[in-house]
Amino acid sequence: MDFGNTEYYTNRELSWVRFNERVLSEARDKETPLFERLKFLSITASNLDEFFMVRVASLKDMVHAGYSRKDIAGLKPAQQLELLYPVLHDFVHMQYDCYRKLLKECASKGLRMVEHHEDLSAADGDYADRYFIEHVYPVLTPMAVDSSRPFPLIKNKSLNICALLVKKGKDAEKEKNQEFATVQVPSVLPRLVRLPDSEGEIRIIRLEEVIERNIHRLFLNYDVLGSAPFQIMRNADLTIEEEEAEDLLKEIEKQIRKRQWGEVIRLEAEAGIDKRLLKILKHELSVTSEDIYEIDGPLDLTFLMKVYGQEGFDEYKHVNPKPCEVPQIPPGSNVFEAIRKGDILLHHPYQSFEPVVEFIRQAAADPDVLAIKQTLYRVSGNSPIVRALAAAAENGKQVSVLVELKARFDEENNIGWARMLEKAGCHVIYGLVGLKTHCKIALVVRREEDGIRRYVHLGTGNYNDATARLYTDMGILSCAEPLGEDATAVFNMLSGYSEPLGWNELSLAPLWLKKRLLKLIRRETEAARAGRSSGIRAKMNSLCDPDVIAALYEASSAGVQIELLVRGICCLKTGIPGVSENIHVYSIVGNYLEHGRIFIFENDCDPEVFLASADWMPRNLERRVEIMFPVRDPALKKRVMRILSLQFADNVKKRILEPSGEYRIPRSKKAERYSCQEAFEKEAAQLAGKGRGKGVKDSRRFTPRSAADDE
Amino acid sequence: MADKKTAPKLFAALDVGSFELCLKIVEIRPTGVRQLEYLRHRLALGSDSYATKKIGLEKTEELFRILQEFKDVMKSYHIREYRAYGTSALRETENTEILLDQIRNRSGIELSILSNSEQRFLDYKAIAAGGELFDEIIAKPTAIADIGGGSIQLSLFDKGRLVSTQSLKLGVLRLHERLQVIQPRSNQVEALLDEMINGQLSVFRRLYMKDKEVKNLIVMDDYLSPRLNAAIKGAGPKHIVSFSVFQGFCTGLLTEGDEELSERIGLPEESVPLLRISAGIMRRVAESFSAEALWAPGTSLCDGIAYEYAEKFLPRSSTRDFEQDILACASAISKRYLGSRRRSEAIEASALAIFDGMQKIHGMGERERLLLRLSAILHDCGKFINMTNVGDCSYSIIMNTEMIGLSHLERETVALVVRFNHEDFEYYDELSTHSDISEEVYLVIAKLTAILRIANALDKSQRQKVRKLKAVLREDTLEITVDAGADLLFEQERFLARVDFFEEVYGVHPRIRREG
Repeated sequence: MDFGNTEYYTNRELSWVRFNERVLSEARDKETPLFERLKFLSITASNLDEFFMVRVASLKDMVHAGYSRKDIAGLKPAQQLELLYPVLHDFVHMQYDCYRKLLKECASKGLRMVEHHEDLSAADGDYADRYFIEHVYPVLTPMAVDSSRPFPLIKNKSLNICALLVKKGKDAEKEKNQEFATVQVPSVLPRLVRLPDSEGEIRIIRLEEVIERNIHRLFLNYDVLGSAPFQIMRNADLTIEEEEAEDLLKEIEKQIRKRQWGEVIRLEAEAGIDKRLLKILKHELSVTSEDIYEIDGPLDLTFLMKVYGQEGFDEYKHVNPKPCEVPQIPPGSNVFEAIRKGDILLHHPYQSFEPVVEFIRQAAADPDVLAIKQTLYRVSGNSPIVRALAAAAENGKQVSVLVELKARFDEENNIGWARMLEKAGCHVIYGLVGLKTHCKIALVVRREEDGIRRYVHLGTGNYNDATARLYTDMGILSCAEPLGEDATAVFNMLSGYSEPLGWNELSLAPLWLKKRLLKLIRRETEAARAGRSSGIRAKMNSLCDPDVIAALYEASSAGVQIELLVRGICCLKTGIPGVSENIHVYSIVGNYLEHGRIFIFENDCDPEVFLASADWMPRNLERRVEIMFPVRDPALKKRVMRILSLQFADNVKKRILEPSGEYRIPRSKKAERYSCQEAFEKEAAQLAGKGRGKGVKDSRRFTPRSAADDE
Repeated sequence: MADKKTAPKLFAALDVGSFELCLKIVEIRPTGVRQLEYLRHRLALGSDSYATKKIGLEKTEELFRILQEFKDVMKSYHIREYRAYGTSALRETENTEILLDQIRNRSGIELSILSNSEQRFLDYKAIAAGGELFDEIIAKPTAIADIGGGSIQLSLFDKGRLVSTQSLKLGVLRLHERLQVIQPRSNQVEALLDEMINGQLSVFRRLYMKDKEVKNLIVMDDYLSPRLNAAIKGAGPKHIVSFSVFQGFCTGLLTEGDEELSERIGLPEESVPLLRISAGIMRRVAESFSAEALWAPGTSLCDGIAYEYAEKFLPRSSTRDFEQDILACASAISKRYLGSRRRSEAIEASALAIFDGMQKIHGMGERERLLLRLSAILHDCGKFINMTNVGDCSYSIIMNTEMIGLSHLERETVALVVRFNHEDFEYYDELSTHSDISEEVYLVIAKLTAILRIANALDKSQRQKVRKLKAVLREDTLEITVDAGADLLFEQERFLARVDFFEEVYGVHPRIRREG
């Protein structure tokens, strides 16, 4: 059996679109609170933007470069683009279909979004005009195009309004009299303009509508024949010539600047745009018809996140409970003492991320701590972890931080605080040449009475206190010696030293993780063949590594029961006779972003449980530094297994991947509603203290407000 | 915070090797040595120094940079005690002193150069730290093949004691450099390696082994041992493999392609040729010795450095008495040069009795006592070459025969003591014209020579007449009471001829008194 047959695989881009459809279906789901639906719709838009900037751009690059290597599904780049164009256009239609429905729903709940400035009443129009003159006009820079003024550079992702002008008194019908002009909708001003409330109704209009209404004021000697908002997307794939990059930091800064001016890969314009304007844009921006999206609604739906942020409407939002305290580490306790009592499993966002922050914070102030080492991929603005690391260095500890500058779209942010850490005296490693460091590991070396003890935190999610409230992740705090030894070796490798002679517990990508994974899968295959107990249950964000999928197919064909929870891309096809009949793939898209990576192998009735920073994707397994670590403590192992089981039991947000490639919710109407995310919220509250109710509330304890609370 | 008296000790061992720079940080507790950090940075200093006797600027800069990093890591652990050693790559540079000075100034690290025998002794200490398993292995006839970058050291055990050792310039990096010059095809490498190794191996066999057998081979290297251990995990108890298993493993290594092999065993592709050479050497040694089993303890020089430092903190029962190995080695050398064991023992006993009797005034310690014993054992080995020039010949033999466990300086001390036992003593002004020894060492040589001369005189007839000897210091006289089985006229005559020097050195008059 050839498990590598390309027919057994789904193209990853198409699978990604399916994922975004699942996000969109959350926006369409009437059971989802109204404002959450707006948020989901906004997420589909930002997801799509990134998809264009990275994936579509990359495919286009390949086509331009004449690269014709087939993908996992046997498709050449040009074929993939051909398949993608109609799917993406359809998707955009679905987005706006959803938008229009939400618009009506919002209006019925007292939030009216005025879609077109033409619909404004005279009084509202006056208000909008005054707003324009006072706030908008001073920051606008209209740019006309003629023989002496070339077509201006349009910034990536910027929203603009183009206009067709004719000098007053000239014949508007003659093409030679028509002039093109454009003006950028200023990003320094809020996208939403709130109109005076009327009859208890909140009314908002988008900034571009206000500008369009007043566009004649920008071109006083001209008549405006037509105008329309447009937006472009440029190729933003960051390719760094590392061999030539003497200084990675400078190279990344250069690339960020370049990103503004890459090839245009998408042009969005308001439906009904004057054909003459569209023709000019198409010509000047060198876009093909497939790259043009005529939008029947407002461009750039990410503004819906701002709508979500409107005060009030709480009954239409899902208010996430405050993460619960971790019972082993109550606030004010000594983290190191707690860890010495045994390994501690953290389940975010149901449980607070605070112990992780506290781990670094206490280490920074502890006179017995000698060194702190940590990897940082994406951190929040004003991160308490970064502050603690800087404080530790100032306190004379040896602090080594590997800052991954290449975390896409976070590069600029990362450079800033990496420099700050360096200034504080930390030893900062700016990533590794050729590899992204994606693993999440922190090591604290402490001098204790009975010798040096190493404390380790390993996680599936970033050291980001803000996203830790929204992403579901897991982590372990431990002072087990084998883990400590391995963690030390990881940092030594990241510092450029040779690999250790062997690993106790950890499997590292790109050198060992994939091999280990394949070995674990094959062990199950052999067990099934030998009639022993076998099985694989795993959760990850994406699954598209061909070798891993082929190994899973082989395992399935040997009789291994495989259940996978893959939130995003899944190139594996289910239900192929003789190949994947024993594989079931599910996806959960819910209130929290499912982000943890959990792998469980039956191991002949002695299950092995692993957590990891890596998805089963070639980029994770072959081009990134990732860590997979086992959960050894029997109680914690049991807990992780239970958590995964509960996720598989979800019948609210869990969808099943059908052999057709479609996803559907498998719940029968009679079945009792069970949402794992809701269940985990409740469970964490129970764990935090029976009878104490939700969260960390304690009426007899003052809770200082932290900077994070203000955000 | 830990109480300073009971807190485990932290120590750093640095090895500037021919192929790698290593830093090991350990914690020493009464229960043993625990590794905290092991940093290794690949830097083939040997590629430069073996070929040109110098280390290029690029590598020197990298060496300084890494040593500075090591210093920072040590600082983070608040390390106060460390030992930093350079081995063959630095030993073989022409400008070693200049380089050491630069290292001191640039990184603040005090680096010393180990002689081959010092280095091997530390390697041996690292292996011996294996405890019971080591004792179990050497209970059978055993050899150690310690494969380094510049040379390999072959050592033989007899009845649990290390008796012979020999360095052969067949190190992995050195052979690799030589092969680079020849540029053989891949299918020629193995045969070429055999030819490079076989000649020296067969001489070793003839000289040291004769009809002795070797059952166990202990191997120590940087490339093969870790992979062998990983490959045979679970196959044998505590990493001991049969020769046939080892053969199978090596055959795989020698026949597989570089890329495939690198992938399979997780070794950088550029290190694969070195692994092959190491495997080739080990296989040839194992075949040549007809070893039945192999043990690769996977230790490194850094372990030995750490263990040596840790010894004084570990309970005596858990440490090996390496002095016995050095003595056994000296006895084997004496035997090879047809020395009389009985005579050596007689002189050794007398010398030690005098040494102990003089304890109050000679100011020497256990280590000097050992040197005296070795001098006694080897006191006339040179007669094998020329009976009329025993002193000089003995000196040459000792200076050219390795004794694992002795530093170069100690070896020279023994050689000079033996030489002045037969020849006229050279005072410091004269001696320092052809030797680098310090005044301090010179005084030790003088003191030991004075004792050895008297002890030698007491068995001048070579009939071991002295059954028992006791030396007691009474004011300005050393009273030597002997229980002799025959008259001592001849010995007394010789004794009197040597009294002057003794008096000159110690300011004490030795007098013989017969018991009873």
